[in-house]
Parts: sequence; structure tokens; C-alpha cells
Amino acid sequence: MEMTLSPTQQAVLDACTTALGRAAGPARARELRSAGGADDRLLTLLGEAGYLDVALDEESGPLTAVLITELAARHLALAPVGARSLVAPAVIAAEQLPEFVTIMDLAFGGPVRYAAQSEALIVLDGHDARLFTAAEYTTTAVETLFGYPLARVELQGGGVDLGAGSGDVARRWWRVAIAAEIAGTARAALDLTIDHMQGRVQFGKPLSALQALQHRVIETHVLIEGAMWMAREAAYHGAPAESSSSAAVAAVEAAGRTLFEVHQLSGSIGFTDEYDLTLSSLRLQTLRTEAGGMAAHSRALVAGRWGA
Amino acid sequence: MHFDFSDDELAFRKELKEFLDGELPVYFEFFDLPPEERAERSMAFVQLLSERGWLTPAWPVEYGGSAQAPWQQMILAEEMVAHGEPRTGQYMNVNWIGPAIILAGTPEQKAYHLTRISKGDVLWCQGFSEPDAGSDLAALRTTAVRDGDEYVINGEKIWTSNAGIAEFCFLLARTNAEGRKQDGISIFLVPVATPGIEVGDIESVLHPGAFHHVLFTDVRVPASCRLGPENEGFSIVRTLLANERTGVARYHRAAGYLDRIATWCAERDLLDDSAVIETLASARAACEAARLLVYQVYDEKTRGLDPDVSAWAYRTAAVRAERVVNEAAFTLMGAEGLARHSFADSQFEWAVTAGVAGGSYEMQLNSLARVLLGSKG
Ligand SMILES: Cc1cc2nc3c(=O)[nH]c(=O)nc-3n(C[C@H](O)[C@H](O)[C@H](O)COP(=O)(O)OP(=O)(O)OC[C@H]3O[C@@H](n4cnc5c(N)ncnc54)[C@H](O)[C@@H]3O)c2cc1C
Repeated sequence: MEMTLSPTQQAVLDACTTALGRAAGPARARELRSAGGADDRLLTLLGEAGYLDVALDEESGPLTAVLITELAARHLALAPVGARSLVAPAVIAAEQLPEFVTIMDLAFGGPVRYAAQSEALIVLDGHDARLFTAAEYTTTAVETLFGYPLARVELQGGGVDLGAGSGDVARRWWRVAIAAEIAGTARAALDLTIDHMQGRVQFGKPLSALQALQHRVIETHVLIEGAMWMAREAAYHGAPAESSSSAAVAAVEAAGRTLFEVHQLSGSIGFTDEYDLTLSSLRLQTLRTEAGGMAAHSRALVAGRWGA
Repeated sequence: MHFDFSDDELAFRKELKEFLDGELPVYFEFFDLPPEERAERSMAFVQLLSERGWLTPAWPVEYGGSAQAPWQQMILAEEMVAHGEPRTGQYMNVNWIGPAIILAGTPEQKAYHLTRISKGDVLWCQGFSEPDAGSDLAALRTTAVRDGDEYVINGEKIWTSNAGIAEFCFLLARTNAEGRKQDGISIFLVPVATPGIEVGDIESVLHPGAFHHVLFTDVRVPASCRLGPENEGFSIVRTLLANERTGVARYHRAAGYLDRIATWCAERDLLDDSAVIETLASARAACEAARLLVYQVYDEKTRGLDPDVSAWAYRTAAVRAERVVNEAAFTLMGAEGLARHSFADSQFEWAVTAGVAGGSYEMQLNSLARVLLGSKG
């Protein structure tokens, strides 16, 4: 057991942080919010630099991929980094990996993140999964407040079978990816809130000096940290059924708590377009409903742990 | 103690509900309309209410009311939110701006403003918050300096809802910089069109027109715009903010969304799933708790008491109800809830702002804690 980064991992993350610092971040997220769509440019850049294929690399593996997913979310990347770097490599052969790929599960209704922007869609159907190219499905955009491009999907072609059990595998990695995205996104929202509280003076002292508020920040912080480590451990072990779903359960809980705390603690400024908070906070609502949300993650956890 | 409504109250609710069902058969939120359209439709609607004596029923007869008991006001509040709150910002006029003028206004102010409010032909906004005075409202810095028969106002208000469509601003400004900060504040009833007032939009993720900033640069108003004695504005506002806290039947609107969500679940045969049952049940119970706590406020008002503690307790329960219903909405509707104007999406805005708008949740907790735990640490 070793919970600090190796020099190699650190070097990869440092370089990726620099890339994300240049290409993602609040200004870019705001630009994309008004333009609509997703950040193809960023995805291409990350792909060309090899960050999206680290899961396949023997030395880095999925642990590095989960760290990158978390980091990208923290930098407000508007691209399916988790789907592409964690889920797709687990079910699609390396040479056939599409650059822009997203996931849907036929068990759950509702709009799908990045569906209209993707080149390909991994469709989970019970234990199995199929890969559809963009030509094999149509999308209808769904207007939303919650931070990501969403669309309803209608499948047309038959897709390519990804093999027996591929649905289960993809679903487990999907949970890890969601947990990592939540950990990064919630961290961005909470960090901004802590900054704000340190500078915002009411009743003659900064909000960060009020114990009633400090405790809430810390509880939120601890929920996020827990989810973050659980996602990392689950990725390291190859997304086992139990730990991938418990990571998702912890993350969804952290997402709900963070969303409401950061807004309450920030006051009115938190809702404005000129301030960065909604760029991260609102995404948490989407992330916590994805892949069937709490109900599905909980069922998977109980089944994974105690059988069902 | 009993929990029955009187025949009159039941009849009032029935008649009101029939009227509202007829006028607004399909539920939508007036607050979601673009500001201009909202102002127009809301104004037209409150005039209908006014004609029927349903705009200001709790006000004294001499000011255009019908001196009905506070329970009528509660029924009105519940039925309004059940029909999308067609009064929009005007609930504020009725619930606390009018009562503030009744409490502290000169005969001229009463004659002019109360007549207009009770007829429903005027929109107000509330100029309280400032960039550095949010929770700490008494720290406000906008100044009003006496100059002969006038005051000269300078400063900046922020977050002001409806400022872009309002005719008057109920403004708090500092008239004395010495002594306790609460003791140097006065109220001004200021026409928004006065030269020197600049209203700007603040773009946000909330409904259109939710936020504005209002800049005052050497704004001259006659001294007759001041409401109540100089430097006593804060205590007047404090008394009336209990009305602000109970003015919108938040628990009832949340319960309405919960009913719609339960129907959505029923249509999908989900009502026998134990997780769904628990989620719906605990959200429903949260709304009911808030309902009874606000009934306690109305009961105290009926008995002529000053319902401070019960109003804080209600507000706390109402914020919780809003949040629990929001949680239920997204838990049950999942990704379907993400679509703009889904039930979950609509409830989200109310839930996420519930603890901030109209004075923050923590201020209520602080006030309640002072009373219930005593001020000693
Ligand atoms: C939808 C909406 C409409 C509004 N409309 C109007 C309007 O029309 N007119 C108007 O004047 N204002 C309006 N407001 C502003 C509102 O009154 C303020 O946002 C509110 O008073 C809180 O101030 P703030 O946003 O500056 O938060 P801050 O005061 O910065 O507080 C941030 C957080 O810290 C907490 N906090 C602060 N001090 C303490 C303490 N001592 N103990 C514990 N917690 C503390 C607060 O409770 C809050 O959770 C509106 C707000 C919203 C959301």
C-alpha cells in the first residue's frame, strides 16, 4: 500500500495539469456554455498527448486514467474523459477506440450526456454492450441547466456486439468514472467556495471564521475525499463490482451535499453568470443521476457485497 | 385546540380555488415568464383579485382590505402558489410593504400607496442587500443625506429582484453613521424612475429578472418619501420581515411538485418500490411539518401576538421541505429531471435559493439558537 504518487505518475499528472490549465478552466467552460456543445478541441489535445490511453499502458494503467479523469473534471473539462479513458478501453479493442465516445444504459430513460457530440455510443443492454457509430443513432438535444450537453437518443442500426459480459464490465468502469468526475467537480466547487468564504466579510469577520460554517465545509470536504479515494482504489483493482459501486454511492452522496452546501455558503453571488461556481456545481446534478443514480449504484453495491 | 377550518374559511378556499382553476387551468410558474410579460400578466391578474377583494383581505377596511383573519391570508398564499403564484413580486406588496406603510406611513403615504397596492396597479422592488451587506444587512452603506426638504441618496443595491420592472423601491439607507449600525437606518419609498437611479441586469442561472443591481448617484427625493421616523427603519423592517418569511407558502408549492412527481412515478408503476415509497413519504412529511409550523405562525397572528420565534422555526422547516422535495425529485426522476422545466428542474431553483432569498437560513438558525439556547456560550 502506497498512497502517494510515484515520480512517474506525478510527472504525468503535472504535465496533464499544465495542459488542462491552458486548454480547459473556467474561461473555456464559460465559452462552451454559451456556444453549446462539448470541447472536441480539448479531447483531441488530450488524446494526442496520450492521456486518454494511459489505462492500456502497463505501467500507468487505469489508476492513472482515473487520476486524469478526476483532474480533468477539476479543471471543468467539458469532454467525456472518463468514458473515453476508463470505460471504452475496458470493452473496445485498442485499435478500434473512437476518440469521442459516450455511454448509455437501456435500463434507464432520460437524456444522455454528450450523445449529440459523440462519434460513437456504448449502449449497455443487460449483461452485454454494443457499440453504435454516430450514423447508427439519432439525437434530439435537451435543454438543461445542469452543465453538460444532453440529448435523447434513438438507436437505428444494430451496432457491434462488444462480447458477452461487456455490459457488466462497462457498467463497473462507468461507476468508477462517474465517481472520479464527481470527486474532481465537487472539489472545484468546494475550493472556490472556501476561497470565497476566506475573503467575504460579514459581521466583521470572514465567513471562513464561523464555526457553524467551518464544520459544514469540512464535512463536505471529507465526503469528497472519501469518494475520490474510493474511485482510485476501485480503478487500481480493475473496477470490481463491489468497490466500483461503493465509490459511486459515496460520490453521489458527496455530489448532493456539495451542490447544496456550496450554494448556501456562497450566497447570491453563487448563482450569477459572472461568478464561476455554477460552472462546476450544476454539473454535479447531472453526474449524480447518471447510470441510474443512487438507486442503481446501491443495488449494485448490495448485490456485490452480500449477493442478491 | 382543534384543527378544523371554519365554514367561512372553507367557503373562501373553495370559491378562490374555483376562480383560480378557471383562470389558470394549466399549471405554470409565472416567475418563468420573461420579466415584461410577467409584469403585464401579473398586473392584470392581481387586478382581478383586487376586484374580488382577494388581494389584500387581511388589511384593515379603511386601507382597501376586508379585515379578514390571518387564516384567509394563509389560504390565499397556499392557493396562489398552487396556481403558479400569479401575483409574482406583488405578494411582497401585500404581505409586508403595505403593512409597513400601514404601521409607519403618513396619511398621504397611506392614501397614495395603500390605494395603489390594494388595487394591484403597482410593482415594487426591495432595495436591502448591498455588495458588502448581505446577511449582515445592518452594515449597509447606501447613504441618504438630508438637504433641506430633500434627501440625497448615494450607493449601490444588489440582487434586487424585479428592479427592471418595478415602479417603486422600498429602500433602506443610512441616515446616521454614528452609534450602533442598526440605529442609523431609514426607509425610503423611492420611485425607480427618479433621475440618478440606474438599474442593471445581473445574469444568473435563476429565472429571468431575478437579480439586478441598482445604482444611486446623487438621487434627490423629497423628505416626504421617508417612511417612519429617521433612523428607525431597521426596527420597522425587522417587525415586518416575519411576514416576508411566511409570505410565500413554500411548503405548499413544494408539496405540489411532490404530488406531480408522485403521479409521474405512478404512471411508471413505481409506487410499490420501497425506496420510492420512502423517498416520497419523507418528502411529504417534510412539507407537512412546515405546513403546521406556519399554521402556528398564523395562529399567533390571529391572537395578536408577534410570531418571531415561530416564524423562524417555520422558515427553517420550509427550507428543509424545499430541499427534501428537490432531493426526492432528482432521486426519483433521475436523468429525466435534468430537462429544463421538468418538475425536478423547477423545484431545484426554489430549493437551492430557499436558504438565501429573503434572508439566509443561517440567520434564522442564529436567531432561534439565541432564543432556545440562550445567548451565553
Ligand atoms: C432569488 C433571490 C432573490 C433576492 N431578492 C432580493 C431583493 O429583491 N432585494 C434584496 O435586497 N436582496 C435580495 N436577495 C438577496 C438576499 O437577501 C441575500 O442574498 C441574503 O441576505 C444573503 O446575503 P449574501 O448573498 O450576501 O450572503 P452572505 O451574507 O455572504 O452569506 C453567505 C453564507 O454565509 C452565511 N452566514 C453569514 N453570516 C453568518 C453567521 N454570522 N452565522 C452563520 N452563517 C452566516 C449565510 O447564511 C450564507 O449561508 C435575493 C436573493 C435571492 C437568492
